[in-house]
Amino acid sequence: MSNAIRTLFLLGAIGLIGFGLFIGDDLSDARWLALLGGAFLCLLLATRIPLAAGMPTFNRGLIRTTMLLACIFILLSAQLIRIQVVRQEEIYYRTGIALDGEVISNPRLYQQQLTVQRGKILDRNGVVLADTTLQDGIYYRSWPVPSTYSVTGYYSPNAYGMTGIEATFEEELSGQAGTNPIEQTIRSLFGREQAGADVEMTIDSDLQTLAYNAMGNNHGAIVLLDIKTGETLVLASKPTVNPNSLYVVSDSTDANAYWDTIANDEANRPFVTRSTMGLYTPGSTFKTVSAGIAINEGIANPDTIYEDNGQITIDGRVLVEQNRPDQSRDQWSLREAIMWSLNVVMAQVGLEIGGDTYWEYGPKLGYDTPIPYDLPVYESQIASNRAFLDSQNALADTGFGQGQIQMTPLHLAMLASMWANDGTMVKPILVSKVTAADGSVLFQAKPQVWLQCVDPATANDVKDMMIDVIETGSAQHGQAYPYTIGGKTGTAELGDGTTNSLFIGFIGDPEPRYAIAVVLESDPDISAVATARDILVAAMNRRDGD
Amino acid sequence: MHRYRPSLRLTEFNLLLITAAMTFVGSLMIFLVDKGTVAWTWQDVSVGLAAAAAMLLVNITFSLRGFRGDQILFPITATLAMLGMLMIQRLSPDLEAIGAIEFSLSARHLMYLAIGLVGMWLIVMLSGPLRVAEWLPRYKYLWLIGTLALQALAMVIGTEVGGARLWIQVGPIQVQPSEISKITLVIFLAAYLDEKRDLLKESWQVGRLKLPPIPYLLPMGIMWGVSLLLLVALNDLGPALLFFGIFVVMLYLATGSRLYVVVFGLSFLAACWLAWTFFSRIEIRVNNWLDPFWDPYGFGYQPVQSDYALSAGGLFGTGLGQGHPAFISQVQTDYIFSAFGEELGLLGALALIALYFSWVLRSFIISIRAQEGFAQLLVGGLAASLGLQTIIIIGGVTRLIPLTGITLPFVSYGGSSLVTNLGVVGIILYFSSRPRRI
Repeated sequence: MSNAIRTLFLLGAIGLIGFGLFIGDDLSDARWLALLGGAFLCLLLATRIPLAAGMPTFNRGLIRTTMLLACIFILLSAQLIRIQVVRQEEIYYRTGIALDGEVISNPRLYQQQLTVQRGKILDRNGVVLADTTLQDGIYYRSWPVPSTYSVTGYYSPNAYGMTGIEATFEEELSGQAGTNPIEQTIRSLFGREQAGADVEMTIDSDLQTLAYNAMGNNHGAIVLLDIKTGETLVLASKPTVNPNSLYVVSDSTDANAYWDTIANDEANRPFVTRSTMGLYTPGSTFKTVSAGIAINEGIANPDTIYEDNGQITIDGRVLVEQNRPDQSRDQWSLREAIMWSLNVVMAQVGLEIGGDTYWEYGPKLGYDTPIPYDLPVYESQIASNRAFLDSQNALADTGFGQGQIQMTPLHLAMLASMWANDGTMVKPILVSKVTAADGSVLFQAKPQVWLQCVDPATANDVKDMMIDVIETGSAQHGQAYPYTIGGKTGTAELGDGTTNSLFIGFIGDPEPRYAIAVVLESDPDISAVATARDILVAAMNRRDGD
Repeated sequence: MHRYRPSLRLTEFNLLLITAAMTFVGSLMIFLVDKGTVAWTWQDVSVGLAAAAAMLLVNITFSLRGFRGDQILFPITATLAMLGMLMIQRLSPDLEAIGAIEFSLSARHLMYLAIGLVGMWLIVMLSGPLRVAEWLPRYKYLWLIGTLALQALAMVIGTEVGGARLWIQVGPIQVQPSEISKITLVIFLAAYLDEKRDLLKESWQVGRLKLPPIPYLLPMGIMWGVSLLLLVALNDLGPALLFFGIFVVMLYLATGSRLYVVVFGLSFLAACWLAWTFFSRIEIRVNNWLDPFWDPYGFGYQPVQSDYALSAGGLFGTGLGQGHPAFISQVQTDYIFSAFGEELGLLGALALIALYFSWVLRSFIISIRAQEGFAQLLVGGLAASLGLQTIIIIGGVTRLIPLTGITLPFVSYGGSSLVTNLGVVGIILYFSSRPRRI
């Protein structure tokens, strides 16, 4: 056999191995083994160098044996290249399921997470909400502020995974983000430990704790947004999951017991973070939306007069009005309908708007649309499908906030903020800045317009009506001079006969500064309006204090 | 007394200096990583220094005694042994911490290393005066009987470890008879094949039929049968595969006949297939090879963890002492190669493979230069056996072939393996010092 043919076989072997390296993930993939077998034959033929005729048998045999061993060692090397370089990631992160259903994954993943200095989570004033400390060579993570458990989430890599900001910013907190391949190579070469980045949030933990405590034993959520920037100052939610109880270093007995308790707590469902994942019927707070759409479409203006004599019959169903402050009056303006929360008027507005227009406004106002946020947010809806809004009664119910409308407290706060912000819905911000361990800034949030919902004039009309609600309308206990507060209350009946209490609103001096949404579940023993007022005022006082 | 005139072994000394430097840096690293500091004293690396010094002492005493054998083989062996010692030193505290072992591996390994080195030194020094080269081939059937007896012993009084009977308990220590019988087998085959090689090349005339020389192949047939018996009785593929490999390679070296290789190779494959069909243990091994995730917490636990460890290493590795190889159970014996893969990376693993190939290559060169046919076959056979052993275990660990329990020469923890393999080096070194053929 000539040199040229042997070279061809060598190239063939290289080709087969090179091709096979990229086929399949597993080490003993049948195609890979077959290609290796082919490469082995090629290598054997390539190394069949001609030997001198007179060479002793032993020497010939030895040379052939050497070649054979060399070929096998090449195969071993190819397999190592496959495991350690080409298919390294697939193998490293491979998971499997045992016969008894238990999941197996690389234990190094947990080990790393316990030995890497995870970044801190801070509030807007530098208060530490999640911290990592070193004890006996192992990093322990702790969450000192109970009111922010629902925002930071928990972090339990070797047991229950992670949620909240811990999950969203996992790459940054664990120090994987912001490193280019060269940096990573240098790290692995010198075995340098990576330190995590710090995540700074817009949350004001003092206000958050105030809101959290104000909710008392009631479940629900309070969201406070900066109207201009969209920064989230408060994202309180009850009940919460205590991340400190789920963090496991070695003994997981207590954590397992805690997990079993909360996972089986069907009555309270602590895993549903109410602020962003709770879907509530907005009740009368939605009247601002119906009024806003009507004004924006030119169907009505704040002074348009509607008939309300205490009841209305729609498609054979009698709707009774209970909210009229003066039982002798039959004529009410749209403004008065908002101020006194008149259902009969808003039912008529709903019918005037009609299904097509409601459906068209949905995405413009943030319904059926994913809200861009640093935490997972459930999608709000006006109705579960367009066909629902074909019914007259459905339109009437939607007009005053019942029907199939579902909203998250975050979306409610964004809506209140939009009315006070010339009809512009800004993108809500939760994380303001991410700073790597070396001081470089990996992420910096910028205020951004998300949706232009309605004309500025429309928004101002609704804003003024909301101020009237507090000044002279149904929620006068919401007043807090010298500040100007506007808002709208709401109640929503639940299937079990209890009602949820809601409030959306804003505060200004008089230029609107903060918007709020308060949702309290199941016949709360506190007033949503008063709670909102206290938090809004506290926010203004802190701002003035700064 | 001029035989003992000192001769400087400078090449060996210089190469050993590199090994010594590696040992020093390695043991320093293990200490520093474990303690998490950069402060150290000479005492902290005393074990590494002592081991390196022992290697140099071997070289110096060789020089003083006027030993004129090969100067390359021992440094390669020493490097492998030092790498093994470092890894055992590094694994021992981790394994103790998780309760996988009840005693300090590192202390025992050092003792075995010392015994092995002394044994090797004695073989090199005493083989000449004791005329070993003359009586080794003469009592060839003694070695055959020895080989068979050792295996029979393992079968009868062996302790079962993980379903395989590989060990004999002798007082406080466990001996792995297959490690010793590996050598006696090679000695027997070398002697027998050297004597009969011309006859084996002839064909056997029965009437008009030309048959292979069956009468002379009969002892071979017996050995082949024994290999199969091993496979069945010891319930493990590893030693059987190794014995069979040795057998085929030596037959080929002696006769140059590819026919034997093909016939015996095919018959062994057939035997493997039968074993796979009839023995659950073999079937488990095959399943582990093809997909260890079939039972990731049970039978597949070791290969799954080994995959994770090797992939964790990447190109450069985590660095000695900075990985987590102790997740693999029995990492100190069968799976020690994965520990190297994780901590020294692909480059380290390839370097290790290169060292083994160099070792085999050097031994082959020594065998070609040897004077008599017996010495050639003996050295070539011993070298091939260690090469095969390396391939079988690394191939198994990397899932190129089904895993079979066998040690990685010079590196794995285990007294029988370390002492006998150093003994093999002693034999090869002795034969490298005999006068060369003119």
